[in-house]
Amino acid sequence: MNASEITIIISCAGMGTRLGIGSTKALVNINGKPLIIHQLEQLKEYDDIRIVVGYQAEKVINLVKNFRTDIMFAFNYDYRTTGTAASFCKGLLGARKYAVAFDGDLLVNPEDLKRFLAYEGEIVGGSIPTTDSPVLMKIKNNQVVGFSREDGELEWTGLAKIESKKIIPADKHVYMMLESNLPIDVMKIRTKEIDTQNDYEKAVEWVKKGYND
Amino acid sequence: MTDYIFLFDMDSTITKVEVLPTIANEIGRLQEMRELTEATMRGELPFKTSFLERVKILGDISVKEVNEIVSNIPLNANIVNFLKENSDRCYIITGNLDIWISGLMEKIGMKNHCYCSKAEVENDKVKKVISVIDKELMAKQFVQPICTIGDGDNDSGIAKIAELSIGFGGVREIAPSLLQNINFAFYDDLKCAEFLRKLL
Repeated sequence: MNASEITIIISCAGMGTRLGIGSTKALVNINGKPLIIHQLEQLKEYDDIRIVVGYQAEKVINLVKNFRTDIMFAFNYDYRTTGTAASFCKGLLGARKYAVAFDGDLLVNPEDLKRFLAYEGEIVGGSIPTTDSPVLMKIKNNQVVGFSREDGELEWTGLAKIESKKIIPADKHVYMMLESNLPIDVMKIRTKEIDTQNDYEKAVEWVKKGYND
Repeated sequence: MTDYIFLFDMDSTITKVEVLPTIANEIGRLQEMRELTEATMRGELPFKTSFLERVKILGDISVKEVNEIVSNIPLNANIVNFLKENSDRCYIITGNLDIWISGLMEKIGMKNHCYCSKAEVENDKVKKVISVIDKELMAKQFVQPICTIGDGDNDSGIAKIAELSIGFGGVREIAPSLLQNINFAFYDDLKCAEFLRKLL
């Protein structure tokens, strides 16, 4: 798939309260660099990147624009009461054919991300379940057929590439916006999500080892 | 197709450099001008007070000369292209004086699409300021939905009432008060113009 068909929306509006860093998670230092810079380094060939900011918006913007100026920033002032779906929707106006939802606290193995973005058509990223209270995906013939808190083969990673025109605005979780469009193809990807201190330590080790366990 | 009317700030949105400091620099009064401009950007001085002070600093120069300098100021080419392509739907709302910016407005095709402050001229000098624009009041008169594009503290009011508001930080930092009132921010004029085209 051509980069000219893709809009990438990174949601960095929330506060990293569970991580206990008192800053938005995009700014947390992973192996010498802020998390958001690790993400942007992997997205160099994409030219429609939107970053949704809220808490500490100025700090995130200043950091990002020193790295790359051609980013569009969207503001989610309701970050205290809304979820990633609301942030994603704030960045959606005028999006290209496909919009990619990318959480600001997610690290993806670079090869997997490349494969994911190049995939023809809609796709959802799934990982081997590891987190404490995962949202799971039921898989049938390499497609997601349902989301569940109880059972499923893969964990929802927050990474999804969907046709922009199919998206119905919502304000909780991005996966809830996908439910009416199922089934969607799924790709197994290696990721680390950073929610807690424990996640953080694991992620730093993982990045140090070249995004491998 | 949308009905948006696009309202642009002039200084540091259309222009690639700040207008009044550029003129002040020509007459060696940049420092005073910069202090006033910065205090206004930070929201420490009301726009009207600061603007009248800034006009005083520039009061002794030939109006023609200022008009000439402003007409030749470097511009954000991609934003100007958008203005030219969509001149029927674009307006400039600027605190600057009509007598200083008329040449530039003509150059970018906004001569009859510009709301600004006004002054009287006598012997090629500013005699007195007649009116200082209140951007918010001006913007409220539009019947169609508006999309505002600007960077300063005095753009916050119109950003708040606009259906869609964009901060442009490609020339100087977007004022902190404006950051609290915008939907989107751009730091690259090409990206900004690309997005504006999607809103047509």
